[in-house]
Amino acid sequence: MNALISGLLRYGVILSAAIIAIGTVLLLLSNGSQDISQLVVYNPNQLPHGNFDPSLGHMFAGLVALDPQSIIEFGVLVLLATPAARVLLSVFLFTAEGDRTYAYITGVVLALLLFSMLVTPYIPGFNH
Amino acid sequence: MIAIEFTIIVLLVSVVGGILGSILGLGGAVVVTPLLTIFLGIDIHFAIGASIVSIIATSSGAAAAYVKDKLTNLRIAMFLELGTTCGAIVGAGLAVYANSTLLKAIFGCVLLVSLVPILMKIGEDIPKSPELKGLAKRLSLQGSYTETNGTVVRYNSTRPGAGMFGMVVAGLLSGLLGIGSGAFKVLSMDLAMKLPMKVSTTTSNFMIGVTAAASAGIYIVRGDVDPLIVAPVAIGILIGALIGSRLLPRTRNPTVRKIFAIVLAATALEMIAGVFGY
Repeated sequence: MNALISGLLRYGVILSAAIIAIGTVLLLLSNGSQDISQLVVYNPNQLPHGNFDPSLGHMFAGLVALDPQSIIEFGVLVLLATPAARVLLSVFLFTAEGDRTYAYITGVVLALLLFSMLVTPYIPGFNH
Repeated sequence: MIAIEFTIIVLLVSVVGGILGSILGLGGAVVVTPLLTIFLGIDIHFAIGASIVSIIATSSGAAAAYVKDKLTNLRIAMFLELGTTCGAIVGAGLAVYANSTLLKAIFGCVLLVSLVPILMKIGEDIPKSPELKGLAKRLSLQGSYTETNGTVVRYNSTRPGAGMFGMVVAGLLSGLLGIGSGAFKVLSMDLAMKLPMKVSTTTSNFMIGVTAAASAGIYIVRGDVDPLIVAPVAIGILIGALIGSRLLPRTRNPTVRKIFAIVLAATALEMIAGVFGY
């Protein structure tokens, strides 16, 4: 069980790092000599706060166009998926071991995690 | 400062953050956040977004090794994650109503106060294993690991309720401030549940990824996760976590506790200094 979780995390992390690295290199090739204060801007009065669009639709369009920021964002999402993936894997592994108590506990954690990743960001009161 | 300079500086400091964070069960944010806010003048919201990414990177980066070494206790982690995920969801939602200056002041003071019991145990290697009973027994909150010199260490845990309470607080902090959950997790497992120090730090390391992931969605949608900032953070932390996770199994419990005490004190002072505008 430990070996499977370990392997999943390791490969997920390597994949994420590779994607982010590619995006970073592309970003620096095009904008490396620009001043940071022009590239990183925080707007408290608009949502989203940065000067880029983090939505999934924009990201996928950006991936196709090889936009560096979209590639980095995709790599970050892969990284974010690693904790969720290992919780999901654990549900199966505990079930396979016949440990019903922990299969349930892990299932609840997975449900909470998916809720927080996919639902709460879009609940009006949570965004400001 | 131009982008490429920024990227290299953040990358190098993040490596250090990853090493420290992975050894101590904290997210590399402990090192990265002050770098971004104090030295590089990045807006605090972007720094929080970056710290969430750094926490997940530290967790997944190091956990691959710790789980294989059987230092991380998977059952204790899963059980306690019930508390941290609930706390994180509530915390991220409440962030808009929170007075973060007040929170940081309270958090800083609590960390300082927690130094006392940590220092009292400063030389301890393996805690006297409490008897396994009640909820801890029913949920098998126990385990064993093998030190590099071959000694097998068996341990039980106690007071899972107190541990769970600490986890909810850790989750709330993570959602509200984007940082801090690792320290609370280690403290809860070390002081309340009486786990060996290396089990506490590696199990915390495993959990912080899930806690941070629970708050991450909200910060991404808000646009607080800036690609240019988080990219060198993520890569640096991953490299650091790889190094740190090789170092920890060879480090003795008392040494880990001593380093933890130092970083705890530094984090507490940094929090409190932040309240006064530093």
